[in-house]
Amino acid sequence: MHRRTVPLTLTAAVAVAVLAGCAPSGGQGGADGSSDPVTFICTPQEDWCQLVASEFTSATGIPADYVRLSGGEAVARLSATGDTPEFDAWFGGGAEGHLAADEAGFIEPYTSPNADQIADEYKDADGRWTGVYVGALGFCSNTDVLDEIGADAPESWDDLLDPAFKSNVAMAHPGTSGTAYQALWTEVDLNDGDQDAALDYFGELHSNILQYSKSGSAPGQMAGRGEVATGVIFAQDCQKFINEGFTNLTTTFPEEGTGYEVGAVSLLANARNPEGAKAFIDWTLTAEAQDLAATVGSYSVPTNPDATITDDMVDLDDITLEPVDIDAAGAARNELVARFDSEVAPAPKE
Amino acid sequence: MTTTLDTVAGAQPALATPPVAPPGRRSSPRTRARADRGVVALGLAVAVVLAFLVGYPVLNLLSAAFAPDGLEVLRRIVTEPTNHRIVLNTLVLGLIVGVVGTLIGFLFAFAQVRVAFRGKRALHLLAMVPIVAPPFAVATAVITLFGRNGAISNGIFGIKGDIYGLSGLVLVLSLSFFPVAYMNFRGMLQSLDPSLDEAASGLGATKLRILLSVTVPMLVPGFAGSFLLLFVESIADLANPLVLGGDYTVLSSRAYLAVTGDYNTSAGAAYSLTILLPALLVFLVQRYWVSKRSVVTVTGKPTGHSEQIRAASIRVPVLVIVGALSALIVTIYLTVLAGGFMKVPGVNNELTLDHFRFVLTGIGSKAMRDTAALALIAAPIAGVLGMLIAWLVVRKLRRTSALLDFVGMLGLAVPGTVLGIGYALSYITPTVFFGVQVLPALAGGTAAFSGGIAIVMVYITRSLPSGQRAGISSLNQIHPAIEEASTSLGAASGTTFRKVTLPLIQSALVSGLTFAFARSMTTLSPIVFLTTPGLKIMTSQILAEVDSGRFGNAFAYCTVLIVIVLSLILLINLLVRKVIFRGRTHSR
Repeated sequence: MHRRTVPLTLTAAVAVAVLAGCAPSGGQGGADGSSDPVTFICTPQEDWCQLVASEFTSATGIPADYVRLSGGEAVARLSATGDTPEFDAWFGGGAEGHLAADEAGFIEPYTSPNADQIADEYKDADGRWTGVYVGALGFCSNTDVLDEIGADAPESWDDLLDPAFKSNVAMAHPGTSGTAYQALWTEVDLNDGDQDAALDYFGELHSNILQYSKSGSAPGQMAGRGEVATGVIFAQDCQKFINEGFTNLTTTFPEEGTGYEVGAVSLLANARNPEGAKAFIDWTLTAEAQDLAATVGSYSVPTNPDATITDDMVDLDDITLEPVDIDAAGAARNELVARFDSEVAPAPKE
Repeated sequence: MTTTLDTVAGAQPALATPPVAPPGRRSSPRTRARADRGVVALGLAVAVVLAFLVGYPVLNLLSAAFAPDGLEVLRRIVTEPTNHRIVLNTLVLGLIVGVVGTLIGFLFAFAQVRVAFRGKRALHLLAMVPIVAPPFAVATAVITLFGRNGAISNGIFGIKGDIYGLSGLVLVLSLSFFPVAYMNFRGMLQSLDPSLDEAASGLGATKLRILLSVTVPMLVPGFAGSFLLLFVESIADLANPLVLGGDYTVLSSRAYLAVTGDYNTSAGAAYSLTILLPALLVFLVQRYWVSKRSVVTVTGKPTGHSEQIRAASIRVPVLVIVGALSALIVTIYLTVLAGGFMKVPGVNNELTLDHFRFVLTGIGSKAMRDTAALALIAAPIAGVLGMLIAWLVVRKLRRTSALLDFVGMLGLAVPGTVLGIGYALSYITPTVFFGVQVLPALAGGTAAFSGGIAIVMVYITRSLPSGQRAGISSLNQIHPAIEEASTSLGAASGTTFRKVTLPLIQSALVSGLTFAFARSMTTLSPIVFLTTPGLKIMTSQILAEVDSGRFGNAFAYCTVLIVIVLSLILLINLLVRKVIFRGRTHSR
């Protein structure tokens, strides 16, 4: 038996040693002993998260670490930990996710002194969340495919209904993606709160949809690869694909008005390091912190008016924004998505 | 097949039919009845381990599923036509992939073991490549090749193919999962007794007739086992329905949607519960069906070598189908490989090394080390545990064997997203039973080893079933008399398992280890809920790259992942065969 098990034991032992070797390197925060580390949930893309963590540490001396989780995953994980959270703060992701976490009791209201600079529509009055970036909904179109089907880049929501776009539009499913829900809610807003009219619009659009993707930015990739002519996504995601090399893409905005998301930061309840987390939130609202996004190819618009607006970003003054009541949108969400599911999605395509 | 039959008879008296056992095997029930203490202790130990790996997290999930939100979803699944369609979609997908994947696996194994042709090593390697199918890689490559603007569908044939939906899912899932079936069949075919073929041939049967009436019936447990495994894997798979599903919604993607889109964990658990039911059904059916067929072929009596088939009636169709499928696999994986070197695969095909530089020197290198270390810990545990369960199920246990077998399989049947939540619910806080703390916190950033223990446990849970099934299939083929001989010479059960059984099922152990490692390296959905700042996992990095539209980086990651996994698999093979068993190969 010894002959047989020794190599296995050895393998396991070596592996444990390797693992043990890796483990401390992640938690290097405690090692220098200067201050307790801040651990935050990070919803934006990986390299942005990395930069935020390292720049925060060099700006304040507080070590920081993160785990990348999407909005829904973050809420699910917070519900698993209960009263002993692993995280102190939550950076990024639509405000509605932060509100869902708040409803379950995971958020501690905190109004940062730096939040004064942020416009009222980009922060919660009770301090449950504060906006760090804004993204406007747009149409991400592939010019090659547009030529092929003989259509121009859509300039209005009605343009998407053109039969030329049959099976050539992609959007995410409102149930899985905040992006798509934003589109659904925008249509409700444009119809003065009439949910039936909004669902009628999507019922008509249904014939032109190739597939409802699960992730919000996937329609942009589909357009980039020429699978569809246009995808309904956030403008910053389309710009990101263009800069990643999908050069045949172009962004347009509906003239009637378009919805937007506010990427938020919030303090988590029962944080292990609440002071560090507050310092983190204060820092994310500064212009210097918000300027980091563009350096890693994230082109959402910063909420701090002093932050730099680069050429890759949308000038929010140039487009028609449909004001979004994030609380109302969140409250209507479950019912509206269920109606979309049963009234729009299962209908057979013509 | 007295052994399994008794088991079924013991577990479900209603289904019992009088065993028509061939003479000479009557002794086996008696041997089993006087189970020695070692077996009892071992059985208990395995049961406790499984309780922590699978039982406790799944129980936590069930309690979530029966919370008010979950009950509401369960009610809607029964009453709403939309949900009926989702359930039906899931079943149809599972059945088709189960059948197609099993057949492909059988054809590959049959060609490999029995048909004469050149290039067997290459074929073996080719059949192994898909087990390292990193999430999204194959689906993305298939879209690049066969999508509406695909390089082959549109570029060569000029058609706007529509692969979103059932057809695309069947293609991708069958190609990703068939290696499980291939490994099963290969092991079984290698240990088949050729004297049966020779006898049939001596009586004047053609090669085709021998294949259909002698070889295939002997492989029934392999067919049933592979089908079950593929069925369960395909209905629980998440990554591919997410990318390729189109309007074809299945339960796993619905469960994911409930968790990530509706912020509703209970609803997710409820949908997952619905996935468990068909899995349980198929499991029971195959168990009952297989148990009625005798398949013992390894008897310990000397046998000769099987000759390679040259008859055109078998050789031509088998090799044509296998060749065509191989070409498809090669094309898909070449796309992944080439994609890593292109600026934007499919759009801007300019060559670049940037992606590999990013992966090998950037964030990627830590992810590679961490993931490989965790997978290397999980694989041997999962491999040996799988064999132990197989041995207990087939040889030692009576009433409880069906339960043990099923609990072992659960880790695969629960969709990853939900298993991950079950783990998070169970292990992020210290485990307490009746006010006594049994375990410290195992998951999450505050736990020991940065929460690595929980990740290893998930890896084991996910990869256990394939080894277990392979072990059960091969043990069913081995006549218990061989082990009884060892026992009657005075060896205890444990010694018999180590010295006699384990070497006999060596190929099952190797395939168990191989899958355990590959599965661990490529597991994505449960890990999302367990990742911590201290550990970077490769698959979640790949997901991050796909999310940001940097397919080049994602493809480069996949290529690196495939290279790591394949080379470590070769190493594991070598280690097991040459070092641990020292060439003591009992199987012919």
